[in-house]
Amino acid sequence: MTPLIYLVRKSVKNTVKSILKSPGKLALWLITVAMIAGTVVVSLFTSANRAPGAIAPLFWFTGILFLFITLFVGTSVSKGLSGGDTIFEMSDVNLLFCSPVNPRKILLYGIVKMAKTAFLAGFFILFQATSLANFGVDYGGVLLTFAGYMLSMMTLLTVSLVIYSATNGKPRRKLAVKIITIALFVPLAVFAILQYLKTGDALATLKSVITSPFLAFIPVAGWTASGVTALISGHTGAGFLWLGANALLLVVMIAYILLSNPDYYEDVLVATETAYEKKRAVAEGNINAANASRRVVKVARTGIPYAGAASIFGKHVRESFRENRFGLLTLPSVLIAVGGIILAVIFADISILLFSLPWAQIFLIGTGRGLKDLYSHYIYMIPESSFKKIVWSNMEIIARTLIENVLMFGIAGLILRANILYIAVCIVVYTLFSYLLLGVNYAIMRYTGADVSSGMLLLIYYFAVILIIAPGVALAVIIGSITGGETAFFLGLFILSAWELLAGTVCFMLSRGVLHNCDMAMMKTK
Amino acid sequence: MITVQNVSKRYGKFLAIDNISLAVNSGELTVLLGPNGAGKSTLIKSICGLLRYQGTITVDGFDNRSTQAKRILGYVPEMSVLFPALTVYEHLEFIARAYRLHGWAPLADELLKRFELDDKRQKLGKELSKGMQQKVSVCCALLTKPKAVILDEPLVGLDPHGIREIKAVIADLKHDGCALLISTHMIESMEENWDATYILKEGKIAAVCKRGELPRGKTLEDIYFAITEGGIAE
Repeated sequence: MTPLIYLVRKSVKNTVKSILKSPGKLALWLITVAMIAGTVVVSLFTSANRAPGAIAPLFWFTGILFLFITLFVGTSVSKGLSGGDTIFEMSDVNLLFCSPVNPRKILLYGIVKMAKTAFLAGFFILFQATSLANFGVDYGGVLLTFAGYMLSMMTLLTVSLVIYSATNGKPRRKLAVKIITIALFVPLAVFAILQYLKTGDALATLKSVITSPFLAFIPVAGWTASGVTALISGHTGAGFLWLGANALLLVVMIAYILLSNPDYYEDVLVATETAYEKKRAVAEGNINAANASRRVVKVARTGIPYAGAASIFGKHVRESFRENRFGLLTLPSVLIAVGGIILAVIFADISILLFSLPWAQIFLIGTGRGLKDLYSHYIYMIPESSFKKIVWSNMEIIARTLIENVLMFGIAGLILRANILYIAVCIVVYTLFSYLLLGVNYAIMRYTGADVSSGMLLLIYYFAVILIIAPGVALAVIIGSITGGETAFFLGLFILSAWELLAGTVCFMLSRGVLHNCDMAMMKTK
Repeated sequence: MITVQNVSKRYGKFLAIDNISLAVNSGELTVLLGPNGAGKSTLIKSICGLLRYQGTITVDGFDNRSTQAKRILGYVPEMSVLFPALTVYEHLEFIARAYRLHGWAPLADELLKRFELDDKRQKLGKELSKGMQQKVSVCCALLTKPKAVILDEPLVGLDPHGIREIKAVIADLKHDGCALLISTHMIESMEENWDATYILKEGKIAAVCKRGELPRGKTLEDIYFAITEGGIAE
């Protein structure tokens, strides 16, 4: 048995053993599998009962998938130009790279690990059956999307490595890669401009852009989106052609690394060391170091405004404007807002966002700096009241959420010419949902002291949110349906927002003294 | 200044510190010694109000979780945690504003010069080496002019200049009447200034040594190894 097969076999075996030994991990996996199974069953019923008019055209699915993978194309090229992507771990560098094992075999081992990473990264797609059913995609289509996504992730990881290998320390080549990457999208952009000038209709232009060959020809993103769409539509030949192009690129990239540069160790070292440092920071509970980006920041304006507990907000504003390109808004929040606007326009109703985006918000709320501050000692030791510190440390995420919602619902509402009151109510419901999420987070921190594994903590949080919001949703639906008429929807949303405010406030009250009467939160990775 | 009475801390079934009592007076340097996992960091975090515990801890007579206690307590954690997107100077400014300090700038300048960070004041937290992060962490703790300072492994990761400066700062603080509680593995590093040493083992105080009361011919190191490696201290 070669050492590499031994390593893979033992790693898999030990991972399974550790899951079986840990009730929390086992429960998490069982629930995940049960949820996927539940999603499949629900999608079967919803697909069967869906009226043909309620299904959005499939080209929107192509566009969304294209946009999604394009984001990863950008990230991969950017990583390739800076430090390469991570396909190995530090233990591989320290033990395998120094061993007399053939580097080519080690690379193949890295590719197997890469497949595992791609598989886990795309796991969320398996939960999207209900969303994708809106485009007439059945569960077979979901699995095809998952496979296409996995393939594109593996290709992009390898492309990133090749770019790093070819451009490291060569500014001219780096510039060439940037130009080529942009050039790939130029025909599509020119086509879009010409179409818009010709028709003057933004939606018609978008449709012709998505269905045009200029999109399909864009490497990886275009190939995957067109290939998966073709297979879902039953055009097997075209589907295999586009996905085959993707697979061919992957093979060519691997062949290039194997034949031209078997001495690739140095090329993967920077990315591996960086990833290792982040993992170590997480293990040590240093959330700030774990979340620090490698982006070079130019320090222009300096200083921390306000005094006392309010200085925490001042610090957050300074950090946000320094780290984000969009001030208080982060890149994910901008992308979600743009995605939300597109989704609302596709379905011609802004209220669709109230049903489709909360799942993302449940996790995005954790990106607020206030919750992260709980993992370092400063906030605990500032001589101010716990209440004031909690309020001021969450101003940043509240402000960010409000700006996001005003932009998302406002722009989508304006495009769709929605009633101003309707837009305002949607903004209130969604913003108060974030308030409720913050309250639930603090209540859980207060009672668990975050003294459980991160997986278990996530599970508790997820179910707590569902349990707490459920009565509000039920009440809104029941009273709304009893009332009937045009006001029913407004009344339902009003009741839901009142419930969110009430439940959120109760959660905050339950979490009283979280900074003065409980253990400092620690990140538990196991 | 710092009083710990019958303090215990449990993590689930594991008893990390078991009924510990100690006192650190003003102008005294008290050292916590013990092998890994003895409970030193847990005790320090409990004193700083970062952990729940059973028992009583006061700082200058105030409950350690009160704002009065927090105002006079300085803490240098084992692992310096800086904010990646704040500059060195902004860390000090943040502390000054959060603690509502007045006229803090000259002391900030003095601390930055002392720890050779003067030319790094515009550097971001994420751009600093671990040693420099540790120095910034010390500056943050001292900017509030605390009456009691707790340092958890303060010398780890520092360069020789940093070690010399920390030792000098500790001597100055002690001279100025500050109560100091320091956890360290480097026994010899505190040899010159220590007043009392508590040796912890498996969450309990295994021995208390006072300067001038050591058995003749025995060093702190001899006693430490006798206790932690199974021997009996004379």
